[in-house]
Amino acid sequence: MKIYALFLISGLAVGSLYALGGIGLVVLRRATGFLNFAYGAIAAASAMICWQFIDWGFAGPVSWLMSILTGVALSVFFGRFFASGLAWREPVVKAVATLGFALIILGLISFIWDDAARKLVLPTDKIGFRLMEVRITVTRVIAFGASLLIALGMILYLEKTKTGLLMRALANNRAHSALIGIPILRVETIAWALSGALAGFTGMMFGDLVRLDPTIITFMVIPAIAAAICGRLESLFLTFIGGLSIGVAEAMLTLVKTAAPFRSLVPFVVAVLVILWMQRKQRLVFQTED
Amino acid sequence: MFMRYMGLALMLAMGFISYSEEAKAAEPECGLNTGEKATGEPIVVGGINGNAPPGDFSGGTDAAAAYFHCVNDNGGINGRPIKYIVENDQWNPELAAQVATKLVKDDGVVALVGNGSVVSMAVNAKLYKDEDVMAMASACAISDCYENSNIVSSNQGPLPSGIGALKFAVEELGTEHAACIGFNIPNNGGWACDWAGKYMESVGKKSTALLMDPSAVDLNSVYLQALAEGVDTIMLMLPAGPALGILKVAEEQDGGDTFKWISPTPLYDPTIPAALGDYWDNKLYVNIELGPFNSDGPDNQNWIAVMDKYGEKEDRRDTFSQSGYLSAKFFVETLLKMDSAEINRTNVTKAIKGISGLTSDLLCGPYYVGDFDRHMPNHAGRMVVYSENEFKVVRDCYDIDSSYLEPIREQERQLRLIQ
Repeated sequence: MKIYALFLISGLAVGSLYALGGIGLVVLRRATGFLNFAYGAIAAASAMICWQFIDWGFAGPVSWLMSILTGVALSVFFGRFFASGLAWREPVVKAVATLGFALIILGLISFIWDDAARKLVLPTDKIGFRLMEVRITVTRVIAFGASLLIALGMILYLEKTKTGLLMRALANNRAHSALIGIPILRVETIAWALSGALAGFTGMMFGDLVRLDPTIITFMVIPAIAAAICGRLESLFLTFIGGLSIGVAEAMLTLVKTAAPFRSLVPFVVAVLVILWMQRKQRLVFQTED
Repeated sequence: MFMRYMGLALMLAMGFISYSEEAKAAEPECGLNTGEKATGEPIVVGGINGNAPPGDFSGGTDAAAAYFHCVNDNGGINGRPIKYIVENDQWNPELAAQVATKLVKDDGVVALVGNGSVVSMAVNAKLYKDEDVMAMASACAISDCYENSNIVSSNQGPLPSGIGALKFAVEELGTEHAACIGFNIPNNGGWACDWAGKYMESVGKKSTALLMDPSAVDLNSVYLQALAEGVDTIMLMLPAGPALGILKVAEEQDGGDTFKWISPTPLYDPTIPAALGDYWDNKLYVNIELGPFNSDGPDNQNWIAVMDKYGEKEDRRDTFSQSGYLSAKFFVETLLKMDSAEINRTNVTKAIKGISGLTSDLLCGPYYVGDFDRHMPNHAGRMVVYSENEFKVVRDCYDIDSSYLEPIREQERQLRLIQ
């Protein structure tokens, strides 16, 4: 029984990163209609910037802030200069545009940083406690706590604030929102910035908890999308649960010897099963009223 | 007073001599070493690397390019310069096939030197055989590369280097049960971990292969899996990035002393010490395929001098680079023995297959090719331990024991390199 608990704890940490990614995707999707495939690449660039500032000798908080600002800057850059021009295009066109942006960012990362071995270390890695003989670092607690708090915070933000209301209005019907005078560009920019900040934070956590590999972080968008699909690209709570479930299932499969080498398939399997379940209700996943 | 002046003069003279020797040592020696540029008809040579995410395998071709540049500035191949065409397959199988076809069929290369691409080796092994062109590779990592008549590499790859690490662990660290953590790639991690397991069985010890998908992110679970298996040693049969990820997880769990930690060559890289930190002092043992980077050996020093003078600033200075230098050097030595007017693919292939008994301080044994269906001339290495921010040699040249080498030993007997 103890061994299951060990893998459960391990899976929750990675799952919370998937959940964080999924939440960032859902917030943006709800406000702008964009399924942002560049989310992982933005997270990768943010993680590399964090490492770079630490390597240059900047204080930790400055490096962490730069990581989040990088996420915001890249996300807002795409949102203001490219996304606005694609606002009336089909969801698939929007998604493919973000994929192109992801490739550009990944190319730039490879151009700027060579393939040398790097490690992102946060001070919270050194502090921890033991639970069932597994040492849990404060970084893992932060990742789990942050995903929970961010999910709750975002739900409240969208439900209780004026900007949240405007975002929901945009999600419901962009054309009608424009007609009644909602400042679409401003609201969308806020959504891009929020999503970018989440990508920056997720990238930093991922670079520390998993590994500082831009390609791996870029493709973190896949389990994040799987988590978002669990929430039907709408529900932040279900996205949070989906992310954690994928992480835990991936970790638990390690115990099944024949399946262990293929456990990275879990996000795809989960996404396919959820899509099939939703198809049962005759609903097209990526279609909005726009 | 006189003695003081004499002393000063002596010190100055000693300093001058030492400076001159240093300056001389820093001057590379290549090919004919005439100091005159080669101006004849170029000899076309190719090279393929894989430089894109997930890894940069360009060290071999970079070093070969630097060495050929140096050779061209020093008389070339009896007056003929080498025109070295390098292509990057970007880890893309389709592109790998295209660039190899271009080099072999369109450019008409006489041979390929310094190759370092996992994808290209798997995709193009048949092409090299069909076109009877030799690839003197430098960065092989998969079985297809070692089990082909037309590819010979100066690096060991994961199989001998991994078994070398295990042999050290069994003999020096008291390993009884080792986990081999590798990628779930049949001709890479699966292949190397399988043979590592056979070695452990042959010495009456246990081993468990823990294979993972290259894109797996949950390294903590891999670590916990090793813990659950009850192993006493963990061998990281992985590229440096994921290996560092597992070491970080182990550090987080304070697992540095729970297991003995060993690795084949990928963790022996000049950039690794900065990423490891004090925690791993005297805990991480790495098998190295070629000489230590700081060795005083003539070839190692010449590799450094060639890279300093002819390499690009951003060129990697790793094991693949040493290996690329070595492949290029042996290739040039072979061409220099040929009649320069008769250098064509057929004759070059024949000459390369005739290579036997070449030596270098970078290698622990003789380098040879021969006309065989497989090649693995480099299978003896050294062991280093990470200590005080650097790697220190803890066991000098030693060979591995593996039934995989039976056909290789037979080749060596045929070439009279061993009894």
